[in-house]
Amino acid sequence: MIKEFDVIIIGGGATGAGVLRDCSLRGIRALLLERGDIATGATGRNHGLLHSGARYAVTDRESAEECIRENLILRRVAKHCVEETDGLFLSLPEDGLEFQSRFVEACRGAGIRAEVIDPKEALRLEPSANPSMIGAVRVPDGAIDPFRLTTANILDAKLHGAEVLTYHELLGFIREQDRIVGVEAIDRRSGERKEFRARIVVNAAGIWGHEIARKTGVTINMLPAKGSLLIFGHRVNNIVLNRCRKPADADILVPGDTISLIGTTSSKVPFEEIDNMYVTAEEVDLLLREGMKLAPSLAYTRILRAYAGVRPLVASDDDPSGRSVSRGIVVLDHAVRDGLEGFITITGGKLMTYRLMAEWTTDLICKKLHVVARCVTAEEPLPGSRESEERVAQHLHTLPVAQRFSTIYRHGEMAEQVDANDAHKRSLVCECEEVSVGEVEYALNELDVTNLVDLRRRTRVGMGTCQGELCACRAAGLLTESGRYCARQAKQDLVHFLNERWKGMAPVAWGDTLRESEFTMWLYDGVCGLTNTQNTEQ
Amino acid sequence: MTETSNFNFEQCIKCTVCTVYCPVVSVNPIFTGPKQAGPDGERLRLKHRRFYDETLKYCLNCKRCEVACPSNVRIGDIIQSARITQDRDHVGLRERVLANTDLIGTLASPLAPAVNIAVGLKPVKYAMDKVIGIDHRRIFPKYAFGTFESWMKRQSKQQATYARQVSFFHGCYVNYNNPQLGKDLVKVMNRLGYGVQMLEKEKCCGVPMISNGLFEQAKRQGELNMVSIRKSIVEDRRVVLTTSSTCAFTLRDEYPHLLHIDNSEVRDHIELATRYIYRLLESGAQLRFRQNAPKLRVAYHTACHMEKLGWSYYSIELLKMIPSVDLVVLDSQCCGIGGTYGFKKENYATSQAIGADLFRKIEESGCDVVATDCETCKWQIEMSTSKSVLHPLTILAQVLE
Amino acid sequence: MKFETIIIGGGLTGLLCGIRLAKEGVRCAIVSTGQSALHFSSGSFDLLNRLPDGTMVDNPIEAVNELIRQNPEHPYSRIGVERFATLAAEATSLLIEAGIDVEGDALHNHFRLTPVGYLKPTWLTISGYVRSEHADKLPWQRIALFNITGFLDFHPQFLSDAIRRFGGACSQHTIDLSALQTLRENPSEMRSTNIARVFDRVEVLEELARIIKESAGDADVVMMPAVLGIDRNDGAKRLTSMVGRPVRMVATLPPSVPGIQTQIALRRYFQQLGGIYMLGDTAVNYNIENDMIKAVYTVNHGGDPLFADNFVLATGSYFSRGIETTAEGKLTESLFGVDTLYLSERKSWYNRDLFETQPFERFGLAADSEQRALRGGHSIRNLYVAGAGLAGFNAVKEGCGAGVSMLTALFAASRILQKI
Repeated sequence: MIKEFDVIIIGGGATGAGVLRDCSLRGIRALLLERGDIATGATGRNHGLLHSGARYAVTDRESAEECIRENLILRRVAKHCVEETDGLFLSLPEDGLEFQSRFVEACRGAGIRAEVIDPKEALRLEPSANPSMIGAVRVPDGAIDPFRLTTANILDAKLHGAEVLTYHELLGFIREQDRIVGVEAIDRRSGERKEFRARIVVNAAGIWGHEIARKTGVTINMLPAKGSLLIFGHRVNNIVLNRCRKPADADILVPGDTISLIGTTSSKVPFEEIDNMYVTAEEVDLLLREGMKLAPSLAYTRILRAYAGVRPLVASDDDPSGRSVSRGIVVLDHAVRDGLEGFITITGGKLMTYRLMAEWTTDLICKKLHVVARCVTAEEPLPGSRESEERVAQHLHTLPVAQRFSTIYRHGEMAEQVDANDAHKRSLVCECEEVSVGEVEYALNELDVTNLVDLRRRTRVGMGTCQGELCACRAAGLLTESGRYCARQAKQDLVHFLNERWKGMAPVAWGDTLRESEFTMWLYDGVCGLTNTQNTEQ
Repeated sequence: MTETSNFNFEQCIKCTVCTVYCPVVSVNPIFTGPKQAGPDGERLRLKHRRFYDETLKYCLNCKRCEVACPSNVRIGDIIQSARITQDRDHVGLRERVLANTDLIGTLASPLAPAVNIAVGLKPVKYAMDKVIGIDHRRIFPKYAFGTFESWMKRQSKQQATYARQVSFFHGCYVNYNNPQLGKDLVKVMNRLGYGVQMLEKEKCCGVPMISNGLFEQAKRQGELNMVSIRKSIVEDRRVVLTTSSTCAFTLRDEYPHLLHIDNSEVRDHIELATRYIYRLLESGAQLRFRQNAPKLRVAYHTACHMEKLGWSYYSIELLKMIPSVDLVVLDSQCCGIGGTYGFKKENYATSQAIGADLFRKIEESGCDVVATDCETCKWQIEMSTSKSVLHPLTILAQVLE
Repeated sequence: MKFETIIIGGGLTGLLCGIRLAKEGVRCAIVSTGQSALHFSSGSFDLLNRLPDGTMVDNPIEAVNELIRQNPEHPYSRIGVERFATLAAEATSLLIEAGIDVEGDALHNHFRLTPVGYLKPTWLTISGYVRSEHADKLPWQRIALFNITGFLDFHPQFLSDAIRRFGGACSQHTIDLSALQTLRENPSEMRSTNIARVFDRVEVLEELARIIKESAGDADVVMMPAVLGIDRNDGAKRLTSMVGRPVRMVATLPPSVPGIQTQIALRRYFQQLGGIYMLGDTAVNYNIENDMIKAVYTVNHGGDPLFADNFVLATGSYFSRGIETTAEGKLTESLFGVDTLYLSERKSWYNRDLFETQPFERFGLAADSEQRALRGGHSIRNLYVAGAGLAGFNAVKEGCGAGVSMLTALFAASRILQKI
């Protein structure tokens, strides 16, 4: 049986999820296909910075204006994914103050509040900031959780009739003359091949969209630019710290949930590497060296892990750093551009503008489908952002404080669906991040979780200090109990999960992080006897 | 040496060892346990202060988690520091009564006989229970008639005649409840050729204030004490001895770690009396024991702060030197009192449940008396077992010629 | 304070070394920062399970020759083929003397059942735990597997799947006892040790026996997580007689009840022999004269030095901070600053697959043929190193962690005793 839709969206990042939601809110039947889990590409591998736009004000006025507009919208419609931390742009002695005046002027020109404050005042506001700064500007930056944002979009889209298939990889397009009429995909877990038909297919696959477009015979020139980041063990800063200079390496330190993030580096990588990015020792050293200039205490703060994402930049010039490439939104109507009907590519842009990208894409879809419906995503809050925190907290009063507020922090009012009434459901699976049995079960039932890594993205299981050492096994047990998979697959999943954690820990495995890794090896390899070979043998 | 984090909690590897040795978690499910309340919780509290959990007050501050931690995480300090900086709980009359051992002692001591009878009376006990929440089953320590300080003032001339001198931080317990222990110390030190002096000014070390949320008062008193201690050690070249393991621990470690009072220049010279005396004997000093002293089977109980100091060795070795003493060393475990913790109505059951195993072992040990360096352990054990409890120095003083 | 030997590190290595010396009347003190890695033990002790080339070992005593040939840097090389069997036998009898009832044979590895259902080779297993003579089957056909409701550190699904794979039949049961209700109210403390404390009470164990009898059907054996008591180590034995069929335990995720019982038993035995155990104290400084350590200084004892004739460094590996690493790619021993062996580039320390051999696991302390520490290539004449901190082996992959700890501990003790 071939299922029919109005629109098929390829790619489960923030953009794809945003298009899915916008379509379903406008009454368009949409299907999203994602070859892995949601938010696995660039969406889940960036700073999690709610840009004020200040960073682009000097170099890219248009992006800056888009950012501040979306910034204000997201604070309203996605409040459970956003932390209103504000940001500081620090001028260090080596930077001088010359850039600051240009910066402030450009910010104000773009409509971004930029307040020059005394370095002493800046230090009082953010004690972790480098005390040798010579200038500081306060801007409305913030933090945004990309996993929650994507999840909430998907959740709302599904409530409005959309369908989502994760672990479905695109094999090819179904074509009728000069028109795309559907796709063929493979369910990566069952191996089953499936066909889906739709009047429009949207390519929202980020850097992977390059290859997807190629399958239709269309060429889009994208540059894969690798950006590496480090995650520190706890919140070092409570206000975003930026360097007040032209954008460069490792000049943003963002507090995100329980941790802080420094990033990024920037380097061109070949397409062969984009599915498996490793952070090098040199990148780690550079991030640390530069990060310490923003917050000196990073020198002796434990690093939890390192990771890298790939920026999907549409080539507009041949700048080798990939930095002065415009991050402007690119919507390609291939009917106009290449004479291929039924195919749209949405690319460029950034996490901050995902909603706007979705709006423009859906506007184009509506035009093509002759649907008359207004975009409401700038007004309609996402699920999770619809109730006051106090009300939800009251509902969850049986939970201990830390667990209560962690659950609300992650799910907003959707946390009311977490079972808090039975002692066993309140038991903690992940002790670092306060994830209970009830929350894991909620994620399993409502949030499309198929394995431990998916669960981590929905709940932060395994994202804390110990990187999954206690909780991985507990969570695998719950997944098995719920019938998600059998015991044998559970063990494979455990190995996969722990290796995924190790991928991020190995580049920073010295000191306490190496101690933690040794402990994890003792437990899982030593005491439990889990190994890769045994799993492949069975 | 690996660079160490300023954020000590980050050295936690989540190995769960602390939870094995916490005396509270297995009997009181409301307390989230040392790992959650300590390093795990600290990370969340850094995110936002609303993650502060009032149940941190159920921590006994016994520091057994710290002794057990393979990563040197100061778990107990993390919990107590969070209380100090973030607790907004109301400090009530009960907390003030329990915290101000010094003030209450001053009031009670002149009226000791009447007070001792009164706090033993059922109506009084029920009133204390109902009105201020001090458990009616708790037996109150007896107050002595006349303080140690007033006795000591009369001795100062004679004590000054010794060539070598030490100072004595007597603490509230010796002053108001058990002046005899102070006299025992003076006797032993005199036999060793040392005179004993009081500090110029002494206030309660502050530990009951820390436990009861009166942090500013604790800090003020701590600073006052440090002035006298510094004078004794730096100017007068006299070490400062205490007989209480908790006073010693507070002056040495809680001052810098919790109250941020710098004692680095004198810390090594704040000594527990048994340790000081043991070291004198080890380096050749002699004590003469009575030949006819009756045999005494003594069970030594290691108080929590003694365990944390790591100094039970000295008290044990000192007791071993007494020919008439037959010593049994009990496994080191918490008795449940936690200073003033066990006096509170809501903690009574927890307190007794923690101590139950120790009480059983004491009864089974066949001892005549229990010895310990902590006064609150003494109250708890005397109330909960059939044995009386003596300080090692009292046992020592009784058998000297 | 004056002792004859001071051992730094109070885990399996330090305690076994201390016990061996104290038995000969040597006045010993152990200084230990905190509790040891025994707290994560499997309930079994491995001697040698696999050679560096991947060959599985059935007979460790026979295989040690080949091990030394393949890896001359291995700590077993210093001990040598002749002494290996003697020290293995000595370690076994010391454990038994300390009250740890172990079973096994250095001439023939048996298999233990892991918490996720693998049969792993091992040397000694504490009695009352599941063990098998075969890598692919269990000694029972019908197995009743019980877990405690809400206990998350034990996974019956993994085990029942394994049991079926091994050709057995498995019935799964969960038990909810009112005695555990208080504990369950705490979201994080439904841990093995806290549950075990409840089962120390005989009436709770009896209640458990009653439930097992009712629901175990015709099972040949009852399997339980290792939570049947902590002060008492005869829980499985008592339960066996109460339910009239064998009850066997399987290790859980940490904390490890059998490991903690081992730690307690060894420490108690060491103290009975007159040893002084200083827990929660860290050695931070030392005096050295003529290549001899004179004394160490600790945090708790401040200016009061701990003198001794001989010293043993048994501070473990990374986890226990016997060896420490920095971002610059340095590996150091932080107390005495003795020589270490490691690869100098940080990126060469790791394998990208966590479950493959990690180069950093072989790093550690250098030692001379007498197992003495070195500084600048010179032996420190009275400082012996032992246990997990030694360089040259991979405890997890070779399955020799407990063996290296105990045998190098006994080897160090024998060197010290030889001198006295």
